[in-house]
Amino acid sequence: MKKMIQILFISSLLFLFACSSGTKVSRIDSNSVVDLSGRWNDTDSRLVAEEMIQDCLNRPWYSNLIQEKGSAPTVVIGKVRNKSHEHINVETFIKDMERALINSGSVEFVANSAMRDELRAELASQAGNATEDTRKDFGQEIGADLMLMGSLNSIVDQEGKEQVIFYQIDLELIDLQSHKKVWIGDKKIKKYISKSSTKL
Amino acid sequence: MKKRLILIALSFFLISCANKSNLRYDTLSKSYKKNGFDGAIAKIEKEEPKLYGKNSSFLYHFDLGLLHHYKNNWKQSIQHFSQAEKIYEDLFTKSVTNEAAALLTNDNTKPYRARPFELLSLYQFQILNYLAMGDVDGALVEVRRAQISMQALYQKDQKKMNENALLHYLSALAYEIDGEHDDAALAYYHAARAFHENKTKIPSEVFEFISHSLKKSDRAELLHKLDYQALESTPKADHLEKTNTEIILITYLGHSPILGELYMSGTFVSGAGLNVNYKDPQTGKRASATFIAPVVAGAGGTSFHVGFSLPEKRMLPFQASKAIFTLDKKTEPIQSEVLMDFNHELTRNLADDRSSVITKTAARVVIRTIAAQKAKKAASTDNIWLNLLTSVGTDVLQSQIEQADLRMALFLPNTITLTRIPVEEGTHQLSVNILNNNNSVISSLQLNDIQIKKGQKAFFFVPVLR
Repeated sequence: MKKMIQILFISSLLFLFACSSGTKVSRIDSNSVVDLSGRWNDTDSRLVAEEMIQDCLNRPWYSNLIQEKGSAPTVVIGKVRNKSHEHINVETFIKDMERALINSGSVEFVANSAMRDELRAELASQAGNATEDTRKDFGQEIGADLMLMGSLNSIVDQEGKEQVIFYQIDLELIDLQSHKKVWIGDKKIKKYISKSSTKL
Repeated sequence: MKKRLILIALSFFLISCANKSNLRYDTLSKSYKKNGFDGAIAKIEKEEPKLYGKNSSFLYHFDLGLLHHYKNNWKQSIQHFSQAEKIYEDLFTKSVTNEAAALLTNDNTKPYRARPFELLSLYQFQILNYLAMGDVDGALVEVRRAQISMQALYQKDQKKMNENALLHYLSALAYEIDGEHDDAALAYYHAARAFHENKTKIPSEVFEFISHSLKKSDRAELLHKLDYQALESTPKADHLEKTNTEIILITYLGHSPILGELYMSGTFVSGAGLNVNYKDPQTGKRASATFIAPVVAGAGGTSFHVGFSLPEKRMLPFQASKAIFTLDKKTEPIQSEVLMDFNHELTRNLADDRSSVITKTAARVVIRTIAAQKAKKAASTDNIWLNLLTSVGTDVLQSQIEQADLRMALFLPNTITLTRIPVEEGTHQLSVNILNNNNSVISSLQLNDIQIKKGQKAFFFVPVLR
């Protein structure tokens, strides 16, 4: 009987420990690769940004345009469509690209369509409320030379517990005047995901 | 003494395994009747552990996703449905411990994995959530996720994979809104194929849009393979092609059936046959069925008497059966057509699973009967009264352990209708009447001053579950 109580007591303790689900948080390097579910994650976003920035800055379109225009081209971000099977925030790698290009001094960016609406509303507000010497004028915006557009596509192949996901990100810089494509960049990412069919 | 302690422990274990499905329905139907969708949402959020628990997390999020969808709370609905989908995906990996526990007790001890029609309807509601928000890219992501999910279900069990016409039709609609007419045509074809495979008549408006799209993309011959003939005249679809502006009216009518218990009893001979008798819930008459019995270790050639409960469709009373509407008070009332019938889906799902559930449950009962007999023998003493008490207690415990898995989504409608109404840009009025089977109006909705811009697709939802 005594042995029986001991076994029950130890089993209960083990059960309690097994059921404890305290949250544990630790800081990790933002460049470290951690894949949990196989879905699109920060590493994929970073890889796309790095590849696109390198490709964009090292292609001849830039020097050709500088020669033609005589100054750094101005770019506006257009629509980058998510045509994949996951809800992906494409803004993460677009912002990385934008920041890298601005910081390199090679390209200037102007506000995109949604931001411009907000900025114009502010200008309208200033027109009636701000002092004359601080008020900003309408019609002084810089027109962009190029628009950055693109899409993110994915293909999924699966059989039972195995899955292969292929992502392709295509970005294009298009001349707003001539509609000529001056640069096309792409990045492909392929993932193999294997799920275990049983666990304890 | 030791054995009696085990019996007491088992009793406590049984209490913890109590079936929550009936409690969930009783509690939430009261809250819904009293305070509508808000009441049900509040009750679910307040009493989640009691009503759902860890093993029914999928249903917790599914029910909340659906209730928020009815309330036009698109973002909350999306969050809950996404969470439900994630839970479903994570349950791909089966827990050996849970499976073993289910083998000894019942299926309620396993995490709920969703019935195929529930999973596919999750994508339907997600597509509608995104389209209602005007996020076509988001809707198309759900369309692609649905395709992957359908493929996985098809690979898992081809025979039990039921095509979902509404899901394909919504996919076609999303592609069309996006201007992807080739993809839309293929999705329309899949919708036609789903109706064909399900032996369901294609609603006339749906067939007009299918015909129009397939003819336009030179794919009309695909319909011949399904023994359909594309319509010569498609005036509504032609008009919509020109205006590209429409009101899309979706109604959720009545309440889907839920699950009740069906008691079966009969004889089980390991590796040979299982004969069961039961009262047919459809006819009310006694019926019997024979199945091949799986081999149960230790059962030998002994004939076992078995009794167990199975999930069976339980119809709920509701009045809403049709929706008629008029636009701008000009047109004759038009009746919306049914694209999805959850009563039909549940009936088919139960029929698909019946044979495997019966044999699995009967085998489980036999395993427990053998274990109970061994337990009685081991607990036997010189006192005949104590032996009798132990024997009765063991039998009662055994019968109490077996509970049918009655889990399913609680707030699905009985039917879904969808009507596309081409309109010109400007201001419109929409009157919707919900009728019962006697054609009496039980609910009305008047939408005045609907501002429609050129090229807009305006979605309106009318849920009447009562």
